[in-house]
Amino acid sequence: MTSATTPAAVGLGTAARKKAARRTPAPQDGGSTKLHRIERRWALLFVAAPVIGYLLFVLYPTGYALVASFTRWNGLGAMQFVGLDNYVALLSDERFHLSLYNTFFYMLGIPIGLALSLALALAMNRRLVGRAAFRTIYYIPVISSLAAIAILWQWAYNGDFGLVNQFLAFFGIEGPNWLADATWSKPAIIMMAVWKGLGYSMLLYLAAIQSVPRSLYEAASLDGAGAWQRFRAITLPMVQPVTFFLVVTNIIAGAMIFTEIQIMTPTGGPEYSTASTVFHIWQQAFKYQQMGYATAMAIVLGVLILLITLIQFRLNKRSSFVID
Amino acid sequence: MKKSRLMAGVVAGLVIASTAACSSGAGGGDESEGLTFMFRGGEDEKAAYQAAIDRFTEETGVEVEVIVTDADQYATKLQAAIAGNTVPDVFYIEQANLQSYVNNGILMDITDQVAEQDVDLENIWEFGVNSYRYDGTLQGTSEGRLYGLPKDVGPFGFGYNKTMLEEAGIELPDADEPLTWDEWLPILTELTKDTDGDGEIDQWGTGLNVQWNLQSFVWSNGGDWTNEDRTQVTVDTPEFAEALQFFTDLTTEHAVTPNPEQAQTMDTYQRFMAGEIGFFPVAPWDLSVYNELDFDYDVIPWPVGSTGETATWVGSLGIGVSTTTDMPDEAVKLVTYLSADEEAQQTLVDANIQIPNRIDTAQEWASAPDAQPANRQEYLDIVEDYGRAMPAAFTYGAQWYDELWVNIQPVVDGDQPAAEYLAEVQPRMQALLDESNAQAEAAAAQNNG
Repeated sequence: MTSATTPAAVGLGTAARKKAARRTPAPQDGGSTKLHRIERRWALLFVAAPVIGYLLFVLYPTGYALVASFTRWNGLGAMQFVGLDNYVALLSDERFHLSLYNTFFYMLGIPIGLALSLALALAMNRRLVGRAAFRTIYYIPVISSLAAIAILWQWAYNGDFGLVNQFLAFFGIEGPNWLADATWSKPAIIMMAVWKGLGYSMLLYLAAIQSVPRSLYEAASLDGAGAWQRFRAITLPMVQPVTFFLVVTNIIAGAMIFTEIQIMTPTGGPEYSTASTVFHIWQQAFKYQQMGYATAMAIVLGVLILLITLIQFRLNKRSSFVID
Repeated sequence: MKKSRLMAGVVAGLVIASTAACSSGAGGGDESEGLTFMFRGGEDEKAAYQAAIDRFTEETGVEVEVIVTDADQYATKLQAAIAGNTVPDVFYIEQANLQSYVNNGILMDITDQVAEQDVDLENIWEFGVNSYRYDGTLQGTSEGRLYGLPKDVGPFGFGYNKTMLEEAGIELPDADEPLTWDEWLPILTELTKDTDGDGEIDQWGTGLNVQWNLQSFVWSNGGDWTNEDRTQVTVDTPEFAEALQFFTDLTTEHAVTPNPEQAQTMDTYQRFMAGEIGFFPVAPWDLSVYNELDFDYDVIPWPVGSTGETATWVGSLGIGVSTTTDMPDEAVKLVTYLSADEEAQQTLVDANIQIPNRIDTAQEWASAPDAQPANRQEYLDIVEDYGRAMPAAFTYGAQWYDELWVNIQPVVDGDQPAAEYLAEVQPRMQALLDESNAQAEAAAAQNNG
């Protein structure tokens, strides 16, 4: 992933490259000189590596999974073709439906996280004392191991000794037993996920905010726009590509939430309230050796993610605009 | 054009070669002369096993490459290795997975090799050895072929904080005569109190986890999870319901355990070690930790319900050999070494992570004059006399069994009567058990045909 480049910057890059291409005359002789031949070989080599990698590590496994999803297979022995049985079984698998509901419930954290990180980015964009230190602090959760963080939060959520409840007790609030209470287990996971993702989104927003031309703000000020109006009319639309990028990647990543769930609630939480779809898939595949059934679920999940992403691209196309 | 195609071919070859190199860690390739051994465990266990394996290499000259994972990643990694055709030569196997591994031709039948190795199987716990016998339809009987040897047997013992009871002036429980629930409850009530006078309870009678401790209550009350031939789920019986109700009442009615908010597994474990809990499970794998505690403790039979017979479970993990190994003789030798060699067993027992596999060593261990806990004999009694296999140990997969725990929280919290929940969950468990039995039959038919 090109983590540090904003989509805006990528856009600029392609435009610049197109111009450059127009200026350089294309070779007329189809690369007959020795230099061109060598270059072409190197080009092939560089092209081949990712293509073969893709075929080997993406296309082949995907095809394999698709085939497996039509079979009864325990992951050990021979596959037994059962047609659409697995998919039919999915329709009445309440656990699977529940896990899908949980997974999408977790996505409530995405808008919360985006709003918080935009606010933080605005704050970090000011000339604060120790600005660099703050930026680093907010980024630490991003680079930390997810497993370690999950264990840490598991302690923090402990109903009796946990940091969270001790903090709440400070204000006279008696906190719930977060991870063992079906009502609070999902919000608990969301809070943790938002906290973990904050630094990354903030950094992207910060880069986007800093690339907004100052002249726009100056012009707006001259026209008498207040701080809120400047934010609404300039900052928000200008960082919109970043918002779009974050929404898309967060939804894709959110649909695949697993590690936190597995570590913090190894049984899928009270009444299966924290089990995400990937957790459910993992349980079926590796704990109960229902590999065929699990791959069918994985395919359904994959199709769902694809659909949602396509819809988002559609919506974004309609709402995006160009500043000349 | 030809040349560039050649080039592309070379590149493709390189990429494939490099990816193949990544995955050839396991599986005992052609050039490596050693065995691969995959297992799981905590830090103490890893160190103890490494020491035992080093000695094996010294004695036999067979190099062993060790692949070790944490407990929760083991199943995933092993499955991935199998899917990638890089099954380790020797690896841990769970009782509940044995049948499918045998039916799919992954576990080697080691009956003859073990016989040749001149191992005295009579001197190893019968429960442990039989756990890895399978005759194509039934697992756990003495008739089956041998597909592994026990790494250990895990008698799940019960214990109490001796110092706490002595301070409270309570008569210490007998090591042979189990307490009945009626006798046990007043003791628990007496132990549950506020010791420092701040108005909050900070010492409890007990604190148990339903998923690992309910078995003893149910069995000693005459209930069980299934009928004898494992075809009928029997959790909806009055005996079962009464046991579950008694279990949850300890928390919700009698309040002799930390309340639901305080009752997460880790807490009661920590609390026992902090000296805040009177009665608590003491399993062999806890001994290395418990022996460092500030108070005295000992092991007793589990308290009993209506049958008056104490009961608990014995776990076991086995070590098996892959059918794809290049060195079957050496692989079996490693299995027998880890499972039955006197010196290897001593290394593992000294690390306080398990009870000895060998019966003679175990008897010596139990009667050691400086033994801690003093009543080590209880563990031997569990394995020999009254311990039982986990309900799902010999079924084809454990999904039906796990189903019981998923929605049990309201019962544990006192929001739903045990009998009502059990009646509700029984059909779901039955459906899953039926499915698993059907799978077992289909797999066995496929295997034999």
